[in-house]
Amino acid sequence: MKEERRERNVVVETVARVMIPFVQLFALYVIIHGTGGPGGGFQGGVVFASAFILYTVAFNLAGVKKRFPESANTIFSSLGLYLYAGIGLLAIIFSLGVGQYLNYGFIPFTSHFEENRALGMDFVEMGIGITVMAIIVSIFFDLAQKDEKGSEEEEGEESR
Amino acid sequence: MKSLRAIALILIFLLCGLFIYVAEDIPVFGDPEAPPIKSVKLFTMEVDQVVSLLDQHIIPEKLSRELVKRGFPPPSHIEKIPGIDGEWNAFIAKEEPHYAKEEKYYWIKKEGDSVRVSRYAFVVRWIEKGLEETAVTNMVTYGLADYRGYDTLGETTVIFTAGVSVILLLRRRSRL
Repeated sequence: MKEERRERNVVVETVARVMIPFVQLFALYVIIHGTGGPGGGFQGGVVFASAFILYTVAFNLAGVKKRFPESANTIFSSLGLYLYAGIGLLAIIFSLGVGQYLNYGFIPFTSHFEENRALGMDFVEMGIGITVMAIIVSIFFDLAQKDEKGSEEEEGEESR
Repeated sequence: MKSLRAIALILIFLLCGLFIYVAEDIPVFGDPEAPPIKSVKLFTMEVDQVVSLLDQHIIPEKLSRELVKRGFPPPSHIEKIPGIDGEWNAFIAKEEPHYAKEEKYYWIKKEGDSVRVSRYAFVVRWIEKGLEETAVTNMVTYGLADYRGYDTLGETTVIFTAGVSVILLLRRRSRL
């Protein structure tokens, strides 16, 4: 009923369709190269979230919510923090209490202490990226929902 | 639904226990032996005239010569560390056009019959030893995720808290 309220724009939709995979790929590139080049978890997470925002701008909110539902969003937002804190905890567990919290060198990824620190940093950056992505998308969903007077709420009013 | 809440409660308690352990694990504030405050020893010299010159805030010729011989920049001026007897800070002039402020670089301490000259460890650890210690080429990342790991964990928690607050305030029926 409300679907044709928004005018469809072929140029915007086509460009968004082409751009979104590359934006997401670039975000993963930025996160993965946090230790080897310029980049990191915060930046990569925001770039990944911007892909979802671009989809919302070009299409509609309901489509994003179908692909990335709010329940998954909530799980992801805490998953990143648990990954970060868990990596720190692993350092204590594997060193049997000798190593400090977040001292990644004691986690036996490889046989070298320094390489372990580098890999631990990689996982931490991934955790940061996941949390930032989920939180930015979540905040955007909430703000956009209010502006758009979400269809869900109107349905609820009609059925009442 | 009941079991989910029980799991969440257990996870929250685990996290609380972890953070209590971590708070015990943080290095003590104001610890003079903490890694960022430590210094790296360069060499020792004999006392003869050096101490009296240092007390008058004059740079001893011998000190500059020894430093230049080892490839370090000579100090531009010397200050006594207030409150402590027999310790001095030496500053160097930086070759930067836009922020031409002197940098605190050497730490000179009198130890019995000799004078110990050390560099402050911040520059040494962060810029020169970082790659060696962490095998990561990006200086910003090993600062952010390794040396200052606690700080970044806190920052991520702040972002998470902001997101949860927005969910609770703005979302319909506040469901997660």
